[in-house]
Amino acid sequence: MNPVGVWSLVRFVHVAGAALWVGGQLALSLIVLPLARHLLADADKDRFTERAGRRFGMLTGTVFLPAQLATGWALAWHRGVTWASLAEPGYGRTLAAKLGLFALVMLAAAGHGLAHARGRPALARALAVVSLTGSLGVVLLATALPAS
Amino acid sequence: MPTSPDDPGPTAGAGPGPGPVAGPVPAPGPVPVAGPGPDAASGRGSDSASGPGSGAGSASGAGPVSGSASGAGPVSGSASGPAPEPERGPGPASGRGPAGPAPGTGPVPVAGPGPGPGPVHVPLGVSPGRPAGRFRASGSRVRHLAAHVLIALWLLLALLAAGVQQTLPVARWLAVHLFLLGGAGTAILVWSEHFAVALLHAPPPGRRASDARLAGFTAAVTGVLAGVWADVPVLTGAACALLVAVVTAHLVMLVRLGRGALGGRLAPVVPYYRAAAVALIAGAVLGWLLATGGAGPQRYAGLRLAHLHVTLLGWIGLPVLGTLFMLWPTVLGVRMADRTARVARRAFLLTACGLPVAVAALAAGVRPAAVAGLACYTAGVALAVGLFARTPRKQRPVSPAAVWMLAASVAWLCAAVAADLVLLALRPPDEAGDAVAALVPVLLAGFVGQVLIGALTYLLPVVLGAGPADRAALRAVLERGWTWRLAVLNTGVALAALPLPAPAATTGALLAAAAGTAFLALAAPVLVRAARTVLGDLRAGDDPAGRARRAARRPALWGTAAGAALVLLGALVANSGGDNGGTDLATGTGTGAAAVTRTVDVTLGDMRIRPARVEVARGTALTLRITNADDQRHDLKVEGGPATPLLAPGGRRTLDLGRITSDRTAYCTLPGHRAAGMTLDITVGAASGDGSGDGSAHTGHTTAGTTPDLSADFSGTWRPRAAELAPAPEGTVHRVELRARRTRAEVAPGTVQERWTFGGTAPGPTLRGRVGDVFEITLVNDDTMGHGIDFHAGALAPDRPMRTLDPGERLTYRFRAERAGAWLYHCSTAPMLQHLANGMYGAVVVDPPGLAEADREYLLVSSELYLGTPGGTAQVAKLREHAPDAWMFNGVAAQYAHRPLTARAGERARFWVVAAGPADGVAFHLVGTVFDTVYKEGAYLLRPGDPGGSQALDLAPAQGGFVETVFPEAGHYSFVDHDMRHAESGAHGTVEVTGR
Repeated sequence: MNPVGVWSLVRFVHVAGAALWVGGQLALSLIVLPLARHLLADADKDRFTERAGRRFGMLTGTVFLPAQLATGWALAWHRGVTWASLAEPGYGRTLAAKLGLFALVMLAAAGHGLAHARGRPALARALAVVSLTGSLGVVLLATALPAS
Repeated sequence: MPTSPDDPGPTAGAGPGPGPVAGPVPAPGPVPVAGPGPDAASGRGSDSASGPGSGAGSASGAGPVSGSASGAGPVSGSASGPAPEPERGPGPASGRGPAGPAPGTGPVPVAGPGPGPGPVHVPLGVSPGRPAGRFRASGSRVRHLAAHVLIALWLLLALLAAGVQQTLPVARWLAVHLFLLGGAGTAILVWSEHFAVALLHAPPPGRRASDARLAGFTAAVTGVLAGVWADVPVLTGAACALLVAVVTAHLVMLVRLGRGALGGRLAPVVPYYRAAAVALIAGAVLGWLLATGGAGPQRYAGLRLAHLHVTLLGWIGLPVLGTLFMLWPTVLGVRMADRTARVARRAFLLTACGLPVAVAALAAGVRPAAVAGLACYTAGVALAVGLFARTPRKQRPVSPAAVWMLAASVAWLCAAVAADLVLLALRPPDEAGDAVAALVPVLLAGFVGQVLIGALTYLLPVVLGAGPADRAALRAVLERGWTWRLAVLNTGVALAALPLPAPAATTGALLAAAAGTAFLALAAPVLVRAARTVLGDLRAGDDPAGRARRAARRPALWGTAAGAALVLLGALVANSGGDNGGTDLATGTGTGAAAVTRTVDVTLGDMRIRPARVEVARGTALTLRITNADDQRHDLKVEGGPATPLLAPGGRRTLDLGRITSDRTAYCTLPGHRAAGMTLDITVGAASGDGSGDGSAHTGHTTAGTTPDLSADFSGTWRPRAAELAPAPEGTVHRVELRARRTRAEVAPGTVQERWTFGGTAPGPTLRGRVGDVFEITLVNDDTMGHGIDFHAGALAPDRPMRTLDPGERLTYRFRAERAGAWLYHCSTAPMLQHLANGMYGAVVVDPPGLAEADREYLLVSSELYLGTPGGTAQVAKLREHAPDAWMFNGVAAQYAHRPLTARAGERARFWVVAAGPADGVAFHLVGTVFDTVYKEGAYLLRPGDPGGSQALDLAPAQGGFVETVFPEAGHYSFVDHDMRHAESGAHGTVEVTGR
């Protein structure tokens, strides 16, 4: 098998997508938003926060999520994962846990957008942090999976 | 307040300083005592308690201690009714120093006005000499709140862990330690500091240091639990070190408090707390040894007992006992007995001297000293309990719930300690170990759980309540349904403690857990409510900017917590049910069709995994068929591979390891078991991949040695085993001590082999008696693995006498020989195939009634010989494939060919034969003779008067009998197992018959 083949490309897209998404969240919450809060006036700040959030959300929904789902599905198929094998201890269960956590993270991210739109900043913020922490957990579980 | 040294006031040291005073306050007549309103504690109460003296004290405001009574909330008792809100207004007596009436920080148990007119106040825990005010009050409440939320969380986790203990291996250990180390440990850490400050009338230690200790303790406990759970010895070790450091800091703090402190009447209680800290340090070190394998298999049982005793009776028992000296009269609402301090001192001497002796002796395995130490401890407990029992009671105690629960818990402590003492004194050490361990649940729920619930029922409102009304309300919540909870909890503990069938014990555990859950359910709203009040107080005195900052931080905190919880959940799900790591079971790829498969039987038991080593060819698809042959639960996890769930005794499971390409290790994940020796090494041998693991016995196993040369000479020091059988000894009771041990013996000419033996020889000593005789065999296991014994000659239930003895254990096996015969005895520990094949067998001869005299009697035990490391892969393979290296009479191949038996012509010779196997029987034939008597399996098949004759005595494995013949003339008579494969490979010998 070639060191770099089709499947390594698929895996690359999957890993890079995750890195960009988690990294993007981290950069937003640890660098961009705190700076914005410090440097911008109240009105600008709210607008900036909202725009930044919306853009990141758009990117997530249109690029990141489809790419992750598609490549993840393909990788699982390539590895021969079946629904039944997801329940088996070890690889299957770790993958299942990762998928479950990912779904929850996505729910939290969606909830974050909704809460923001409904004017519940505290809830939105909490959900954003849930999403960030959870996606780090997804990465943790992903690293626990043996390379495929 | 009469607490300043130079202003003793009429209370003579017993003043309402922040000490538990209970004492002998000369009741000042004109004090309004308003009965035992539990929450009436108040400045007023203290006032009355201290009488005029207090007035003086407070006036000067100089005492380092202040009339805490007032604020300190917790006062109980008796203090009397008309108390004004203590925190808010300076009571007349609360000379609190410049800052005014600090609400005390502590619970102030008051041992109140007994029946007599003297109301007494025992303020416990104040912040003497500190500026006081609402903020400080809140600050102390916040810390108590945080500590108790922490305790409640530990208890909740413990209940959860107990709930899943059937499914998760470490869960039982985890449940016990979450409860005792987490819950009870935190409570003791917090309260012993609190009470020490109060009892010594000392200034409280720095808040930061206290907080740091609590945080360190929590981190250490979390680390220990996580380290053992995840089997990360480094983490366990580091966390144990942190735990020792934190508890040492706690100890140093307690010692420092005593220096230069005023010392209250009940200062003698404080040494209990110091001793407890020392006990936890010892317990942590012992626990670390157990969890990480410093103990080794030999000392495991002793160190475990020592750990149990030092933690339960030391770290938890001592502070509880000490605290009760003050808490008991307080919850009863009576005055403390005059001799309390004296009794406390004596009881401390007894308990604190007895326990270290007991613990050290248990660890070293010196039982008499352990019993003596424990007796000393028991005497101390009895002394204290005697005092409590004689404490006068009132019609209506301050807190009936606390009174009953504390009383019940002390009763369970007494019962458990007494039972412990009796078990240690009367049972053999290792049997006692199991029995004592069975007491742990009783101590856990009956004593520790109940004392926590009882004490917190009284103390929580005291430290968390904002005022008398609030405290009363909180207490009302905590006491809700207490009679039912008390009954349910104690019924549960009793069911679990009594030797009832399993369902009763399960019901008991469920009842106890239900009672615990009910208390937690009541405590949760109390904590929430207190949290609201405290936070409200904080907010009220806060600047808006700070509030905004906190408000801004809160969503992030909640988010982080929720996210972390989710991740933890995910990780737990991923780790549940073991791990298949590198194997490819979830995929279709991986195992090639060409893979050689091999199945190995593995038994778990006696802190060993047998075989301890499995050697396979590279690429072999290995399947382990695992049986838990122990009487406790085990599991088996292959490192980086699959694991079994926890297997109950007798449980089986098959693990598919896939193709083995590199060395692997498997082990039992129960805490300490791996360290104690429960490991299995799977090693990759020759990289042939052609299934050499299944190869023939004589070619594939280099470690197995070669077939012995039976014609070679034995070494010079070798002596044959005497085949002559002595007549049955006189007497009807035969007492024998058999020691199971390993030895090396020359089993064939020039071939030395490790043997597992009874009494150092294989076969073991021969026992002989008559029908009706009683055999009393004491089996002592001097080996490092488990052994048992099974006498075929006796009829009895195998459960106890034939059970497996751990190393060092002893057992007395008594049976009456009701029937005659030539009987086998052998090791009853699985795998018996190995134990028998390696030498653990022997014969019991019970003469039939009227057995005729014979000139010569011989006993021959036939068996196979399997060379190689006993229990090793190669030998076990030979055993399984039935490929012996030789056959033997009396444990040595061809020994009587080299050293013939002797007889004279015309003599009647009787040959007793027992077939020990493990796989082959024997067809005993004496060349050149005809048997005129055959006695097989309890019956004569042929007697001398009969016309017929016999040529061979055929015995299946584990059968026995005898044959008789008369040697017609001088000559060399060979005796053989007439299965010629056996005879030519060692199962032959000679009788050298000389002329008359």
